Order: sequence, then structure tokens, then C-alpha cells
Amino acid sequence: MQHAKIADGLPSQPEREPSVAALRPALFAGYGALDDLRYDYPLVLIDGGSGENMFRPLSRIIDDILQETAAPDSSGEALRQQVLRLEAKIRRRVMQSGPCQLTDLWRDCAAEFIAQTGEAPFGPLDVNLDKARQSLYVDGLVIDCDDKTPGQVLVHTWKAMHQAKARVFRKKVDGLTLRLTDILKSDHMKSDEAHGAEALASSMGSSGDGSVDFHALSAVLARARPEDRLPQDRVERIQNVLRVLQSQLFYGPGRASKSGPKQPKPYSYTFESCASALDANRDRLRDVLDFTKALTVAELEVENKYRPELHDPIFERFDESDLTADQIGLLPSALVCLRDGETDATEIARAFEALACGLQITVLIQTDDILGATSPEPPRNSFGAGTTRIAAMAMGLNNGFVLQSSSAHLYRMRDNLVRGMQYDGPTLISIYSGATVTAPGVPAYILSAAATESRIFPAFTYDPSAGPDWAHRFDLSNNPQNTVDWPEHELEFEDVKGQRQSEKIAFTFADFAISDVRYGRFCHSLAQADWTPGMEPAADWLKLPPETNSNQKPYVFGIDSENRLRRTVVDDKIIEAARRCNDAWCRLQELAGINNSHALRLLAQDRLEREVAARAAENTQSTLSGPPSVAAQLAKVAEDAAPPVVTDVATDEQTEDTPWIETARCTTCNECTQINSELFAYDENMQAYVVNPDGGTYRQIVEAAESCQVSIIHPGQPRNPQEPNLVDLIERAKSFH
Amino acid sequence: MTAPMSQCLMQMVQTDYALSDYQSEIAPRWCAGCGDNAILTAMQRLCRDEQLPPEKTVCVSGIGCSSRLPHYMNAYGFHGVHGRALPIAEGVKIRRPDLHVFVTTGDGDCCSIGAAHWLHAIRYNMNMTVLLHDNQIYGLTKKQTSPTSPHGLKSNTTPHGAVLNPLNPLTVTLGVANVSFVAQAVDWIPDLLYETLSKAYHHKGLSFIRILQRCPEFMDHRFDDWVRDPSKMRILTHADGLRLKPEVSRIYKNQETHDPRDMGRALAISSLNDEIPVGILYRDPSVPCYDELRAGERPNTPALVQTVLNEEFDKVGIWPDPATAPEIRE
Ligand SMILES: Cc1ncc(C[n+]2csc(CCOP(=O)(O)OP(=O)(O)O)c2C)c(N)n1
Ligand code: SF4
Ligand code: SF4
Ligand SMILES: [Mg+2]
Repeated sequence: MQHAKIADGLPSQPEREPSVAALRPALFAGYGALDDLRYDYPLVLIDGGSGENMFRPLSRIIDDILQETAAPDSSGEALRQQVLRLEAKIRRRVMQSGPCQLTDLWRDCAAEFIAQTGEAPFGPLDVNLDKARQSLYVDGLVIDCDDKTPGQVLVHTWKAMHQAKARVFRKKVDGLTLRLTDILKSDHMKSDEAHGAEALASSMGSSGDGSVDFHALSAVLARARPEDRLPQDRVERIQNVLRVLQSQLFYGPGRASKSGPKQPKPYSYTFESCASALDANRDRLRDVLDFTKALTVAELEVENKYRPELHDPIFERFDESDLTADQIGLLPSALVCLRDGETDATEIARAFEALACGLQITVLIQTDDILGATSPEPPRNSFGAGTTRIAAMAMGLNNGFVLQSSSAHLYRMRDNLVRGMQYDGPTLISIYSGATVTAPGVPAYILSAAATESRIFPAFTYDPSAGPDWAHRFDLSNNPQNTVDWPEHELEFEDVKGQRQSEKIAFTFADFAISDVRYGRFCHSLAQADWTPGMEPAADWLKLPPETNSNQKPYVFGIDSENRLRRTVVDDKIIEAARRCNDAWCRLQELAGINNSHALRLLAQDRLEREVAARAAENTQSTLSGPPSVAAQLAKVAEDAAPPVVTDVATDEQTEDTPWIETARCTTCNECTQINSELFAYDENMQAYVVNPDGGTYRQIVEAAESCQVSIIHPGQPRNPQEPNLVDLIERAKSFH
Repeated sequence: MTAPMSQCLMQMVQTDYALSDYQSEIAPRWCAGCGDNAILTAMQRLCRDEQLPPEKTVCVSGIGCSSRLPHYMNAYGFHGVHGRALPIAEGVKIRRPDLHVFVTTGDGDCCSIGAAHWLHAIRYNMNMTVLLHDNQIYGLTKKQTSPTSPHGLKSNTTPHGAVLNPLNPLTVTLGVANVSFVAQAVDWIPDLLYETLSKAYHHKGLSFIRILQRCPEFMDHRFDDWVRDPSKMRILTHADGLRLKPEVSRIYKNQETHDPRDMGRALAISSLNDEIPVGILYRDPSVPCYDELRAGERPNTPALVQTVLNEEFDKVGIWPDPATAPEIRE
């Protein structure tokens, strides 16, 4: 069935023999009928999804449901089988009829399933499926892997991010709006107008019965009204800011849309071309600046931190160059979906321009044909290398986030994809759809997976925000067996004698190329009977230096339409292209620190240094571990002999004769300061001290000491020997010394 | 990344609040020797040291001598209704999470008429600092027995002596679900009062400090034994609690290292009779705050409120012509 699917749009290939036309890489043998397999497609684009739940394979959602509803032992087996069969039905339905909402699919396929079994509604099958459906925790569009997949996934993710951004934006802007309105409102409450009889009457509603004299009430209120109105310039500034915040067109008003004032439609941020995205960016710059200024002023105003003399000049000369990353990050990010082959080649160049100027933009470049034509017209593609290098080139822009993935790997790359679309700058996303019309009979999912497998289209991410260097930024981990040149797999087959054989084979560029009819011209396929010892697997052949003169013939394994194994000898042209492909892969590996020549050298050096250091440390240790050093002993002696440190501040600073207070313990009880505030005063912590010992009489000092409940006033000796009753006072003061 | 622009611009505006900036024009009218003065001073010191803008600070109180504190603070204040300081403060906080909210309440205000609000405020654990001025008496109304008055206390309401044992505000608070910060301070050790208040302010959630407060007017000499004998004060220290300055440590030698996570020990210390514990009894910063749990996705702007109300009305509205009926969104 999948044969027919892609063959539909296929240009006729009259010159090809039928048996070769159906040739496929041998490793595809296990993936004959996709509709019986559980894999990453169909994919559910989850409504309201975010983070790792942005989208999820149907098979995983079903697994989640089964985990919850089907008992792990045999009692859950019936339910498990039924739900898995329903899943297969849904999968087939999506393959045949295209995208559909998950809950609709479930309902329709479940009904069909029940009808087919002839069971009655509410029978055991119906009950089981309904039980499972109750655990269906998400809904969303279910899509298959085809030429529309990259666009659908990107638009879905972009929309989800846009909505999330809108929520952050509204929370911020609404919060500021509310508080600015509050400030104006509370100021208005102090106005004549708000205190007028009319305003008072209307605040009571229309059902007033005339029993309240609002003129009298207004007169009473006028007397109690606070005087401190806001300065007029502040009121005007806040009003202006509110006007700008409320009329912004970056995001729609969300839920408050129905009651809000009628506003023009918000700006759209999805574009057909980079040129229009760049134009829109230029046209909206004025608005961006006005809005950003208003937002910043608002933030200052709600904190009561706007000072015209300081801030006016700054806002007057505020322009594009002053915009900060977080200010730009608050506003929507643009999305442009381009399709290599369909989009004009100059557009791809514009994309680089848009990416280079640091805009908040995500550009999707979808590729449907990675090998390209065998005799490409200059200056476009070269033999076997289509447009696979776009993403690698974009990494040179340095400030942009770059992600490359085949459709088959999108689910595994979802965290990176989400991060890329959240990134505060330009993002390039390059996706190979697998929907190559010149590979008839190979489903897009298989072909796109093979593109990653064969290193023609490796999955990688370059994230400039992840750290300062390539080790942090570049991620190649999503590729199969990423430390080797070509991934290897066990191939099991029957030989001519009907014996079961098993062989480890690598999956190379050449394996991928044989599935493309255009490259058939450079291949020669042989049935088992014609195999000779003079053939060598292409992967082995590629390990030899290019200049090697070998008589061996490089081959890869293919299968024909009857799943018969054939060796396909490939031409030099394909081998050369494979070498270029391997070269590009090794470069990526080096960037990811895999088999990195510099790193290996440094590591060796580092290890050497550490060994030297360890040896040195060993030597010093042995000298230290003897008896305590002379210095240590000296220090100990000095410590023992040191006189005790004088910490009693009181005895240190105060003489017994002058009156003083243990200020730190003062409880601010006002007793002493009320007795005489010339004598006792509070310091900057509102704790009492003797400000002037001659500011009062000795009697007052002694009385204060007596009334101080925490007994922290120390009277000292009388300062004036002429003061009466001194003998008695001195006696009373004794207990406070 | 660099700080947001608004933050840089705000930093251009230098503020240097002195303690006097938090003093209102009204001079405190508490009796001389009243412990409330020390609490007010500690509050003002905290505001100054944290440089809290007066217009971002709110003191909410109920009724009582202690509840007069907002009058003496130059900040926003709400002298509420007897026993209702906490619900008012909760309203302030939920609508204006940006404000620093302090609650001053008395033993009558909090533990008697306001007891229900007290328990629920602890459970709500909203981000605010609560100071219970516990003088063990109704001061403002001139000496009536309060829930914390000692057994046998003769007062206007119990002329033959209080017949019930007092309620212990510490163990009660420690027993409420979601409790996140409980401390005790005394007005006569200002250093530790300040330190405790500062720890409470920095705690996210409701921090409850019971402050034993002297009322020389109606409970004279009540705490003399402890004021005069530092060894009867048990100071709780911990890396995650109070750390004593050497001069305090020298006077108050009766110290215990108490881990504020240890609820069992906190309850035991709170129940001491002859010694007065001072310090942080319990602290769990991980307890969720109601104000944060309930913070809406979108602020309630008038437009949003109107939309939501209309939607609700539309659900029960009867539309003569179904074609013009609005689409109902759940
Ligand atoms: C509803 C109500 N009931 C009673 C009173 C009378 N009243 C005023 S203050 C007070 C007690 C205050 O005691 P406390 O809270 O301990 O404060 P203190 O004065 O001791 O600081 C009472 C009962 C009141 N104002 N309102
Ligand atoms: S009497 Fe003692 S506690 Fe009161 S203010 Fe004076 S020094 Fe301070
Ligand atoms: S009555 Fe007591 S609590 Fe009230 S102000 Fe006087 S001393 Fe303070
Ligand atoms: Mg009281």
C-alpha cells in the first residue's frame, strides 16, 4: 500500500528494468508493512501541549493508557489486545485518510471495530474500549509521516510557543495595567469630581430613594479629603503609558476579548517568505520601540521610581540599539516555512540574511530530496549532496540556533526543537521529510530514518545559549552509533542453499543511494548466484585511502520486490559521494568532540600533566608527614602565651565615674528620655544613650536608673558636688554600678 | 545576561531611608516602660535595614494597645476591627503581592476574639510577618483576663483569680497544618527581637513571632524574674536560626542549639515553664503559600472580570433566538 502512495506522484521511468526499480536497501526488509508496526508515527500534535508533551507518538499515548487501565497480568490481556487493535485501526485510518483529531478517530474507529466483531453496544469490547478512552488524557491532530509533516509539526510547536508567550506577555502587561489604573483611580478618589454629589449619588446605583442628601455628604467628605494629589506630569505620563499598553498589536487580548474595546487585528507573525518577515520587522519597529518604552516606564511607575530628571533624557533617545534581549523576548517570534526545491533559491539566501541580523525568527527549510539530481545544473546541487549542507553552513552564523533532523527523528529531537523555538534569536530548522518522489515504494518515514542512519542527514543541534563553547553548544547524540563512521546492523538472510546466514553490515551513503531511481544508473545489481570473491562491502572499501588501486568491486546489499537479497555493485561516482558524505560526518563528529583530533591531543597532554602533578604531591606529602614543623610549634606557643582578649567594651571605654547606658540592651521604653531628654537621647537605632552627662541632675540620673526596667543605666559619680542629698543618691546608685 | 533595563533604571534612583523615615508624626502614646515601644523600634530598624519603601509597606492590626502600632509607622496601615487583623492582611496580600505585609496583634486580639482567623492564617501560610504582642492581659480596656493570662491572675473579669490554665500560643501555632515559621522573642532583649524579626521577614510564608511584652501598667513585675536573671532565658541558636553576637552571648549563657526543623523538640521547648525560650522554634521553607497557589494566570483587569462575569451570566441566560446566542466556553 505504501508503494502506491509515493508512486502516485512519480514521473515515469521507462528506461529502468522492473526488478531493479523495486530494489531497496537490505536493511529495509524488516519494515515491509508499516501499518503493522508501532513506531513514532502517527504523531499526535497535542492541543495545549508544551515542553516534552508538545507532541507524542500515538503508540506512546496508547502505552500510557494501557499502563493505567490494563492489569499487568493475564487479566489485563484482553483489554490490552483490544486497545492495540484499535491503535492499529487508527494508524491505518490516518495513513489512508490523512490527519484527524484523536478523539474523533478514537470514536469512529472504536465504532467500526465493535461493528466488525458483531458485538452489541455496551458489550465487553465496548466497555473495555470505553474504559481505556477515559484514560485518554490528551487530544490533538493525528498526523502521519509524509511531505507535510515538517510544516505541521513546526506550525503546531510555534503556535503553542506563541500562546505560551502571549500568556507571559498578558500577565505582565495586564498586571502593570491594573496597577497603573489603580494609581490613577486612587488619585481620582481625592478629586473634587469624585467627591461631588453627583458622583456619590451614582455610586449608590439608580435605585436611590432620595433618603440620602448627597450634597451634604459631599460637603462632609470634602473636609476629610487628603490633599496629596499626584503631580500632573505623572498623571499624564501614566495615562500615556496606559494608552500604549492597551492598544498594542503584538498579541490579541486573549480571554478578555469580548469585553475589551474593539481593537484592530493583532499582527501576524507567520510569513510566506523571509523577505516579508524582514519587511514586517522594519514596519513594526516604531511600535516595538513605543511599546517597550511604555512597558519600562510602567515598571518604574508602579515601583514609584520614575524620576523625570533622570529618566526623561534616556527615553528621549531610546532607539533600536537599546532594546535588550528580554525586551525582545517578550514579543512574538516569527515563523517562515520554506521548502527547498519549491522555494525560490534566492529565498534561501534571504533566510541567511534574516538569520544573520539576529531577528527573533524561526526559519524552517524543508528538504524532500537530499541526494539531488545526478547531473545537477550549476550552481545548484552537486552529485549526491542536494541541500544537506544548509544547516552546517548556518552554524557559521554563530548567534543562531540550528537544528537538523529527519522527520523520523523529530520526536526524539523534540526537546531540542522546543528549545530552538524558545531561543532568543534566529533559529534555523532543517528537516528532511523523506517524501522523495524518486524513491518509489519507500515510505517517507523509512526513507527519512535511513537518511539519518546513512549520515547523509545527521540529526544535530547547535544551541548558542547552551554554553560558551562547542562542547556545550553542539549535540550529535541523537544519531545512531555516533562514534563510528557508519552504523552497523545484523542482517539475517537465507543463502542459495536455504541456510540461515547472519552478517554484520554497515549502512552507508551507498545503501541509501540505491533506493533512488535516478542513481540506478550507477549501480549494478547481482543475484546470489552471481556473487564473486572479487567484491568487497562498500564500507570496507571506503576505509581504504582514495588513491588505493584495488581490483575489488564495492557493493551494498539490496533486496528486490520478492525480498531476495542481491549485491549491488556501485560506481565510483557513488563511492566518491560517499566519501564526501563521510568527510562531512567526521567534521560534525569533531565539532561534537567525538574522535576530535585536538581534544585527543589535549587529553593526552592533560593526563601527562596530572601524572606529573600527582607525583610531585606525593613527594611533598612525605616531607610534611614527619613531626610537626617548627613554624607550627611556634604558632602554638604564641597562642598559649597570648593574654586574654579584652572584650568587655564597658570597662574598656567607660570610666566608673561618668554615667552610661548599655545601649544595645535598651528597649526604647521612653522612661529615661521622659525624665530628661537633655540627658538621655535615642541613637539612630532608637536606643538610649547618655547624650550629655551634664544635661541634668544626679538625682534624675539615679531615678532613671531605678525606673529603667532592664537596669542598664549606670549613674557613675555625681558631677556637681553642690547637688543636695548626694549621700542618699550615691547610696541608691550603688546597686547600678 | 544583563539585568533588565527597568532594574538598571531603578537603580539610578538612590534611596537612603533612615529610621526616622518610618516614624509617623504621631508620637507613640503607650505608657512609659511599655514593651510595645521596643517592638515598634525593632520594626523600624528592620524597615530601614531592608530599605523597604514606606509606600510598599503595610502594617495591619486589630484593636488593642498593641494594635496602635500602625499609627506610629510611616507606612500604609490598617487599624482594623478587633480580632480581624489577619483576614484584612490576607486581602491586602492577595491583591497586592508586591507589598510587604506586617500584622500586629495582641493576645486578646489574636488568641481570643480572633482565634479562628489565627488558625486559618497559619494554614493559609501567606507571605507575611505576624507579631503577637503578648502581655497576657487586655491592656487597652484596662485589665481583663486574656487567654494567655497566668492561672490565678486577679483582674477586672476574674477578681478572685483566673481559674483556667493559659493557652500557649506557641504550641497551638505549631499544631496547625502548614505551619512554616514559629519564633519567640521578648521585648527586653532588643538585639534578639530584631534578629528574630529579621529572620521572620526573610522567611517565605507566614512567620509567626510571639513576643512576650511587658505591660507595666497592668502586669507590673510580671516578667521581672526573667528580666533580671539572664540564666532563666534559654536562647535557641542554630546555623539556620539565631546566631548570637559575642556581647549577647556573654550575658545570656543559657543556650541551646536547636534545629528549627525539629518539630518534636520545638514543642518540648515551647512548653517550658520556668525558663523562657527565645529564638526560632520551627521553620519549614517548603510549605506552599496560598497566595502563590492562588495567583491567577492573568491579573483580574476590569476587562477580564467583565468577560468572566458575562460568560457566567450567559450560561444561565435565556436567548429568545438561539442564532444570536453567544457561544458558551466552559
Ligand atoms: C468587637 C469588639 N469587642 C470588644 C472590644 C473591646 N476591646 C478593645 S481592645 C480589647 C482587648 C485587647 O487586648 P489585646 O489584644 O491583648 O491588646 P492589648 O491592649 O493588650 O495590647 C477589647 C476586648 C472591641 N473593641 N471590639
Ligand atoms: S529606661 Fe532603660 S530601657 Fe527605657 S529607654 Fe531608657 S535606657 Fe532604654
Ligand atoms: S496599658 Fe500596658 S500594654 Fe497598654 S500601653 Fe500601657 S503598658 Fe502598654
Ligand atoms: Mg494584650
